[in-house]
Amino acid sequence: MTVSPEKPARKLSMKQRYSALTHDLDWAPTYVQEEEIFPFTTFEGIKVHDWSKWEDPFRLTVEAYNKYQAEKDRRLYAVLDGFAQSQGQVGLTDARYMNAMKIFLQGIPVHEYNAHRNFSYLARYANGPGARFAALCQSMDELRHAQTEIHTLSHYNKYFDGMHHWHHWTDRVWYLSVPKSFFEDAMTAGPFEWLIAIGFSFEYLLTNLLFVPFMSGASFNGDLPTMTFGFSAQSDESRHMTLGLEAIKFMCEQDEDNVPIVQDWLDKWFWRGYRLIALVAGMMDYMHPKRVMSWKEAFELYFEEQMLNGLFKDLEYYGIKPPRHVQWAIDEKEILSHQVYWVLYQFSHAAAFSTTIPNAEDQAWLEANYPETWPVFKEVAWDKAQRVMDAGGRYFNPGLPQLCTVCQIPMGFTEPGNPLVQCQRQSVYEGERYDFCSDGCQWIFDREPTKYRQAWLPVHQIFQGNCGGPGGLPAVAEWYKLGPNDGAEYLGSNDQKNWLAWHGQTPKEA
Amino acid sequence: MAVTAMYDYNWPSRSAAEFYGDAQLVHVWWKGNPFFVSAATFPFPKEMPFGALVGLCKEFFAADPDFDPASMDTARWAVDKEPLTPDMEASLVANGVGHKSLVQFEI
Repeated sequence: MTVSPEKPARKLSMKQRYSALTHDLDWAPTYVQEEEIFPFTTFEGIKVHDWSKWEDPFRLTVEAYNKYQAEKDRRLYAVLDGFAQSQGQVGLTDARYMNAMKIFLQGIPVHEYNAHRNFSYLARYANGPGARFAALCQSMDELRHAQTEIHTLSHYNKYFDGMHHWHHWTDRVWYLSVPKSFFEDAMTAGPFEWLIAIGFSFEYLLTNLLFVPFMSGASFNGDLPTMTFGFSAQSDESRHMTLGLEAIKFMCEQDEDNVPIVQDWLDKWFWRGYRLIALVAGMMDYMHPKRVMSWKEAFELYFEEQMLNGLFKDLEYYGIKPPRHVQWAIDEKEILSHQVYWVLYQFSHAAAFSTTIPNAEDQAWLEANYPETWPVFKEVAWDKAQRVMDAGGRYFNPGLPQLCTVCQIPMGFTEPGNPLVQCQRQSVYEGERYDFCSDGCQWIFDREPTKYRQAWLPVHQIFQGNCGGPGGLPAVAEWYKLGPNDGAEYLGSNDQKNWLAWHGQTPKEA
Repeated sequence: MAVTAMYDYNWPSRSAAEFYGDAQLVHVWWKGNPFFVSAATFPFPKEMPFGALVGLCKEFFAADPDFDPASMDTARWAVDKEPLTPDMEASLVANGVGHKSLVQFEI
């Protein structure tokens, strides 16, 4: 038998290969109904007429994806090795800087993993191949981010307190219920709401506020591993932003009945996300020894200018309006970081990070960047805290804070226009009272009270005896697995003592 | 508004009064003093006299170096934002303080 020589197949272009390996692998079911294969994409009320209209602008194949990611990992791990071998931790600006990274490690990697899980679910259950493939890539990205964040920060665990039980703390410690409840809220929503919650609101609207200050903050403070991780994740993030934008456009273009549903989710998730990243405001203005920009400047640039004056002008075409309660966020930009750090300061005896009164240099920076609000805040908060220190004490709040039922942050945010009076909102649902820090959180509760009344509020759970039993704070700390050196005051802490010893100083000289 | 779900979605509160037995959660708020960053939550017995709450406040708020315990005696009170002249001998419940009520004072 002879075989006639065949011409080798012409090499497909990237676009053709993408199409062949994704869209062309899709088929229309013949002996089952589409709803049986994709049972979760109708109940939210989003109408989709043509899934093939989902555009995936990146057109990656699995092969290309793996190649790019492997290369990025190689670079990152080379930097991590070099940093460890050269004792890079000694070259940070100050040991205080690590407190921001402790909160990052405690609050984020587990939820990267949760994002991985939910995007895997989308990669299976979205009806269209474009959406499924984009979700698959993001699912792998999120898993990679969880792993690389853990590896990036693991070196510091050898030298600093407050890092040893990050995974355990994510699930239990009071301030970490803020990110936990945020992600669990999103994961328990339907797939389209998830896309608006995480894909659009978190990854598009707010991502630069989270990412740029953090990674630039790492760069300014000598944290080469975190900075390199940031760059390694950045190209993934731009894909995630594109997916988020595609999701909102797709829903709006498929049917105009979808627009009010999308708007409602956008209103909800803008506020949820904005409250979550309030922690970032506190880190930027108070926890970075060397600052890139203030929270206020970052908010003005990355949110007001880029999103409100840019993105939302484009979304007007679909009938999408800027988020409800956005004005409240704008009004808070002068005061947000002061209030968040003041919460952290007075409750850090029950936390896995330490805090301290801003030193003279910090105070000069705060005065220059917040000329209106810093003097007011200094007088009612820090000057008094300093007097307590001068008298040989340290101010910690003696009780447990009232928590917002939705964002779960202690209710320390103030009424718009009055920085001295905390905002108190209450709703009554089926005879029970619920508390909120703001109109935004109250509005979210009132939309879905049967969801948020299940909130696992740390303070309420402690008083029910579910966090180590009735033994008060020591029992709670044990249940949290907090060590004696993980939290409280920075001055005199192990971290500070070690830092000074590495640099041949004593506390007196510092 | 009901939660949009694939079934009748209705789950109970994780902070309901029944979890606290003879006690109830009470938020105590010193309005106008942000030295205490938020109101504080306490599990107070329902039958505790209002005067005992005031006594506890005198110790609690002493964490503020400018606090004068005597000022509590002339404080203006409100429960769930309704002004109240408390009956110091009567119980919290008799003074209108319920589960997760907000008890505020100004001095």
